[in-house]
Amino acid sequence: MRVTFLLNGEWVTANGPPTTTLLDWLRERASLTGTKEGCNEGDCGACSVMVSDHDGARALNACILFLPQLMNKAVRTIEGINGPDGAFHPVQQAMVAQHGSQCGFCTPGFVVTMAVAHLNGRTDHEDQLAGNLCRCTGYAPILRAAQEAEAAAVPTWMQTDSAALDAEGAGASAGDMPQHSLPASGLTPSIASTQPNDQTGPEGPSPDASEEVDPGLPGCADELAHWYADHPDGTLIAGATDVGLWVTKDFRNLHPIAFLHQCHDLQQIEVTDSDIHIGAGVTLTDLGAFIANHHPAFAELIRRYGSVQVRNAATIGGNIAGGSPIGDSMPALIALGAHVHLRHRDARRILLLEDLYLDYRKQDRAPGEFVEAVSIPRQPDHLKTYKLSKRFDQDISAVCGAFNITTKDKTVQTARIAFGGMAGIPKRATHVEAALIGQPWTAETAMALAPIFAQDFTPLSDMRASASYRLRTAQNMLLRAVLEDHGTQTSVLEVNP
Amino acid sequence: MTNIKPNSSSHKSDPNRRQVLAGSAAVAAIGAFGLPVGAQTTAAPAASGAFASLGVPHIRRDGAEKARGGAKFAAEYSYPGMVYGALVYSTIARGTITSLETAEAEAAPGVVLVMTHENAPRLERPEPFYSSPTGMAGSSTPVMQDAEVLWNGQPVAVVLASTQEEADHAATLINVAYEEAEAVTSFDVAAESAQTSFYAGRDLLIEEGDAETALADAEVSIDLSFNTPAHNHNQIEPHAVTVLWQDGILRMHDCSQGVDLSAITIAKVFGISPAEVHLSAEYVGGGFGGKTVWQYHILAAAASQLADRPVRMSLTREGVFRICGARAPTRQRVALGSDREGRLTSLIHTGTTMKIENNSMTEPFFEQSEHMYRADNMHLEIRAGTMDMLANTFMRAPGAATGTFTLEVALDELAERLAIDPIELRVRNEPEVNPTTGRAHSQRALVDAYREGARRFGWIPRSGQRQGYREGEWQVGTGMAAAYYPYKRFPGGAARITLNGEGGALIETAAADMGMGTTTATAAVASERLGIPYDAIEVRHGDNTLPGALIAAASQQTAAIGASLTAAHEVLLAELASLVPATSPLHGLPAAELGTAEGALYSLADPQQQIPLVDLVALSESGTVSAEAQGGPISEWTQDWSMHSTGAVFTEVRVNSVTGEIRVPRITAIYDCGKILNSKLAESQFRGGIIMALGMTLMEGASFDERNGRVMNPSFGSYYMPTHLDVPHIDVGWTDIPDPQAPTGARGIGEIGMSGPAAAIANAIYDATGKRARDLPIRLDALM
Repeated sequence: MRVTFLLNGEWVTANGPPTTTLLDWLRERASLTGTKEGCNEGDCGACSVMVSDHDGARALNACILFLPQLMNKAVRTIEGINGPDGAFHPVQQAMVAQHGSQCGFCTPGFVVTMAVAHLNGRTDHEDQLAGNLCRCTGYAPILRAAQEAEAAAVPTWMQTDSAALDAEGAGASAGDMPQHSLPASGLTPSIASTQPNDQTGPEGPSPDASEEVDPGLPGCADELAHWYADHPDGTLIAGATDVGLWVTKDFRNLHPIAFLHQCHDLQQIEVTDSDIHIGAGVTLTDLGAFIANHHPAFAELIRRYGSVQVRNAATIGGNIAGGSPIGDSMPALIALGAHVHLRHRDARRILLLEDLYLDYRKQDRAPGEFVEAVSIPRQPDHLKTYKLSKRFDQDISAVCGAFNITTKDKTVQTARIAFGGMAGIPKRATHVEAALIGQPWTAETAMALAPIFAQDFTPLSDMRASASYRLRTAQNMLLRAVLEDHGTQTSVLEVNP
Repeated sequence: MTNIKPNSSSHKSDPNRRQVLAGSAAVAAIGAFGLPVGAQTTAAPAASGAFASLGVPHIRRDGAEKARGGAKFAAEYSYPGMVYGALVYSTIARGTITSLETAEAEAAPGVVLVMTHENAPRLERPEPFYSSPTGMAGSSTPVMQDAEVLWNGQPVAVVLASTQEEADHAATLINVAYEEAEAVTSFDVAAESAQTSFYAGRDLLIEEGDAETALADAEVSIDLSFNTPAHNHNQIEPHAVTVLWQDGILRMHDCSQGVDLSAITIAKVFGISPAEVHLSAEYVGGGFGGKTVWQYHILAAAASQLADRPVRMSLTREGVFRICGARAPTRQRVALGSDREGRLTSLIHTGTTMKIENNSMTEPFFEQSEHMYRADNMHLEIRAGTMDMLANTFMRAPGAATGTFTLEVALDELAERLAIDPIELRVRNEPEVNPTTGRAHSQRALVDAYREGARRFGWIPRSGQRQGYREGEWQVGTGMAAAYYPYKRFPGGAARITLNGEGGALIETAAADMGMGTTTATAAVASERLGIPYDAIEVRHGDNTLPGALIAAASQQTAAIGASLTAAHEVLLAELASLVPATSPLHGLPAAELGTAEGALYSLADPQQQIPLVDLVALSESGTVSAEAQGGPISEWTQDWSMHSTGAVFTEVRVNSVTGEIRVPRITAIYDCGKILNSKLAESQFRGGIIMALGMTLMEGASFDERNGRVMNPSFGSYYMPTHLDVPHIDVGWTDIPDPQAPTGARGIGEIGMSGPAAAIANAIYDATGKRARDLPIRLDALM
């Protein structure tokens, strides 16, 4: 299929199977080898690129980004972070001056991520760069470079993408991109030469390309509903942070597939008197920014969800529908009493989120039925979340606990407690909740209820942690919740107090 | 020219050396210990003005190209008709391939070749390290020559296709059937038949006196056991090679740490002359010991030969874990006996590690125990078992990375038992001469490093009492440990110096730069020695057609280059002497009485007598003056002196009492590594080592499935390394005292950061919690 997007300031059309990753296309078709492959699964950030649309610019991992996701967007690779006349971007200057590059393999990815943060005025560098691994420098010179570049003005060439997108008109669908917008003069020879018939590789027609069926490209939830009902065995691709690995690691042949990024109606957050209604296509980045005003503990949990690049792509619907027992959104959502909105063609159902999960990787969701939204009842904020993992960022929780407990006269009135990593599904601690209600909200109560956790959970031992450790820390988290309410705040970010 | 700085080809008249040899006052001046050294400052320059090079924090020369995204790595070279390789890996640990169904793959779109042991060209077995002076392979296991499978993950087929995607796809269509043989994939089983092993040409057994009896008789003793897992280098660049047979030459763009040795090793496999292999690696995306010769090189070249096509073989991250080996697991015993004053009467450091039948790499984890402390009786011994697994190999600070962990935790435990401050215990056992060889130290200021580190860290001396305290949920503690890595200089170093007519010089040496800053440091060393401005010096490296057979390993490459430049400079002086016109007062002076400085040849006896180098170059027939030589004998460390780098590492640790989470908020490390040639490069090398050690301590480990011999976490998503928020505030400093026996005064800095932090963190955890961690990595559930 043909995908037209702005690449380093020039319109290009890429042809290829729909599961061609941007990274492969850049390196093999466009001869832009500055973008590196370090892991091919979104864990190292060496392939970071800047992707802009009318909502702004963000860093994404090109290795798990499929070409169709780029329709009508603007991509800048390291080659486009360089100025048109070869001038350096301020972050590049700073990286050189501070010795932020050693072996240099991770460097282009760092530079791109830093340039995006610089464009967006972000100075929380450690968070912004958490998705970029470096094995040489020990990171300090890179952080110094990011700090050094803070004050420098954004170069003009970094600000042209949105104007160029505007000039082509917002909302034009991919296939409609006018061909006259391809200025061959501005393309490198290697790109230009692959333009006319890009589904042929160096050796002839690519097999997938010749046999391929165009992917579904629903433009709204209604179209998605019909596509999925018609293709119940299909694969839905939203952010591709999970599905991407099915392709790059498992070499799975995903047909039929549908890309959801054009369903703008799924990317909205609406606040009513009763609910916060979050479309399934909302990214974790957008959800985190929004929910900080309502449930800051949920936002803090999202801060540790993957990395910037992952959060910029991953959607809340994908996390819910993926249904991993260690997905980090679900404990918080379940503790908040969230409902999941399911849809099959025009039929809709609403379930308590915890009722979606029946057993390990088994959901109360029919073929062709998809997650349209999740809604959180409006409520005063009492949420506390604790993510327990070895590494602060980019780590899977050994245990993730969420506590939503209300009290009156120091006595527990309501309690919703949910955990990830404690069972084959994200799961409520119903016995603990029941025992807690009516009890004084004290450390003594928390300690007295510790044995009840075993009625709710029989966790596994694995490479992350032992079963007994999981049970013990889950118990301890309840105690921590009590102590927090009594004024003892704890940040697990003690490495940089 | 009144400021001319005496400089000559002779070691002893080198200004740095002279100052050192002049006595302790000069040493103290250069050491400049009162100065804040490290991140915020630069080391005192050895020269001033435009000619100052050594010690100056020059911006690294490749920084701009790397920041621009223009640095070209091994997988980024293309040739017309190039095809892409994909590998099929065995799924059993030992056995025989009984059938290979390749027809479907061969018929798959884009496929050019499927190579298996049935059609692969006949190849010699590769020469592994230590099997010959040039062996660079991880093992001597035959490369796709027969049906035998020797590890889970061994390549059993190569697919070449027009695109990587087509190759990857076709590889999935190959069906392999095996007859499994009994495999040894259990450490315990292999340990039963482990033998006292050898490393680098010597047995891993040192016995002095009767250590066991001394331990039993000691007034105070401890006897501890430790476990460390396999580790992976995880360079961010996965291994890759682009191969082309052209005009009788095997052309390889590789990511090698030692281009000459790689080329020679590969040439021997193909039965061709090393001159018929042209292997270059201008940029190497991280090495740490792992960018040597593995099967993918040979398979790519063989398949390229068979298909008569250029081939790019770019390993997936999983592929790196399957076929490129790394650090072996160890089980160690450290037992210490002492008198009540803490003088060691017995030091026992023994244990078991694993290797394979076809390599000679035994993880030498007792090396620091030979050299760090005096003890009346010693028993050091490493036994190696053989397992059916991927060949283990060198990884940053081989031996010392885990060996300092175990030894330095043991010292902490002994100090506690003795109620002596851990620093004081170490100082009491500081050896006046090398404890096992009896040789004099070339330079050693470890005690100064302890004192300076303690001052900067704010170390609270302790005598058997934990100093840890509680802060909310956090238990906070501090710990320290010594760091260690030996000085080495391998033979084979060479360099060519070519003076041009513009007053500049070209330095050529087949050295590798995998990110350490080799070209930057080499230019500085050359500038200093030649008396030519740093910016007028060009450095070419990373190509086996250049002089020398160097390897970026064991922190020795800078020393090897320095000795090569010294030797080449001596030859250059003779060349220049031959060009001196008869009218010059310098005419007739032998090379030994000449030097170069500030762009001129001058008389050592009368520095005012000089001729500009450009004038001499103009007199040459070719318009350039060139000299090439090999570095001198390496006896300074093999025979004459005890040459070892040391350091002192201090950490603060916070352990969460609710969850067991461990955070390391700050580390102070002071190193005694001789002269620091470039403070910016050095700081990053130390810091990078410290962070890798932090990873080793808290999160890293290759999980080996003992049921089937397969690595279970072959990805960055399951083998964790530190990210930004795991990284503490690190204060790095150095004594900066030149080693008078090392070619540039520098002893090497690449590995030592990797030793020390693990023990310092474990000791701090004890201080915080009262719990001893003796197994790595220290798991989340270890402290609950």
